[in-house]
Amino acid sequence: MIESQRHSYHLVDPSPWPISGSLGALATTVGGVMYMHPFQGGARLLSLGLIFLLYTMFVWWRDVLRESTLEGHHTKVVQLGPRYGSILFIVSEVMFFFAFFWASSHSSLAPAVEIGGIWPPKGIGVLDPWEIPFLNTPILPSSGAAVTWAHHAILAGKEKRAVYALVATVLLALVFTGFQGMEYYQAPFTISDSIYGSTFFLATGFHGFHVIIGTLFLIICGIRQYLGHLTKEHHVGFEAAAWYWHFVDVVWLFLFVSIYWWGGI
Amino acid sequence: MATAIVRSALSRAAKTSVAPKRRFSSSAGHDDAYEAAKWEKITYLGIASCTALAAYVLSKGHQHGEDPPAYPYLHIRNKEFPWGPDGLFEVKHNEGH
Repeated sequence: MIESQRHSYHLVDPSPWPISGSLGALATTVGGVMYMHPFQGGARLLSLGLIFLLYTMFVWWRDVLRESTLEGHHTKVVQLGPRYGSILFIVSEVMFFFAFFWASSHSSLAPAVEIGGIWPPKGIGVLDPWEIPFLNTPILPSSGAAVTWAHHAILAGKEKRAVYALVATVLLALVFTGFQGMEYYQAPFTISDSIYGSTFFLATGFHGFHVIIGTLFLIICGIRQYLGHLTKEHHVGFEAAAWYWHFVDVVWLFLFVSIYWWGGI
Repeated sequence: MATAIVRSALSRAAKTSVAPKRRFSSSAGHDDAYEAAKWEKITYLGIASCTALAAYVLSKGHQHGEDPPAYPYLHIRNKEFPWGPDGLFEVKHNEGH
């Protein structure tokens, strides 16, 4: 903390990342639309936009980590910002998934005559919920237990144990994603097979995508714990990752019960 | 009012991580060491049960159904994908094209 500063707020330096992120998002959106319609150069603009976005994410978060660890700008008051931000972000994610559950329930509670008036639609061979999905159900909560272990290890100042706990968390996450990938590969229906395929793959696919994001977030936390960035008093990044991970875990439980199990009966 | 409640709850949460209020032992952080050991055991228990369940589920094997008749709501194609006529993860219908 700078000696002359008489308040605990972080006055940020000018940064190029907001505008570069915006340009990346614009290129990604326009490139994505061009790619999905027969425009020339769509794939190129889309890749350029994604590279721009990923680069911006990397350098922006790198800057935030430098501000918090090396420059010590993240006082107790400043930490409230990312806490509020993480909570609001997760609330917005709840609404995002709510829409997919709504779509699935809307289509399954009163199946339209166009799909034979039954759910699952006639001709759809659903995945058995008591095979891979049931196996995946204890894997995610076990991973949640491991992240809680990591949290208490950080609070107790057991730095090495915390790294081990995060390794266990990430390994369980990877096993989950592996099983999901296997199941996707073997699935007898696709996203273009009726409203069942569409709602199924939209909901489970976005969940899988979020599991991958959460896994990357936890890997970053593990690396930061290994490097000694996280202390007993200050580990907001880890807490955000843990909240996010529990959220992804809870979404899976709802997916299992309502889409795999109830939706497959 | 609501924001004040959330704010005070958040700042309480922030403060408790500095100095845990529940301190039953003279050594600081004993509580967390205990909790860490407990959750470590729960994790191992979880891994053991997942492994056992995996061995059971994967050894069972599963049946493959037959291909359904070509109902109009299956294999929907309104336009070609950017990469061609076939989807990425499905039985190829247009292999020769």
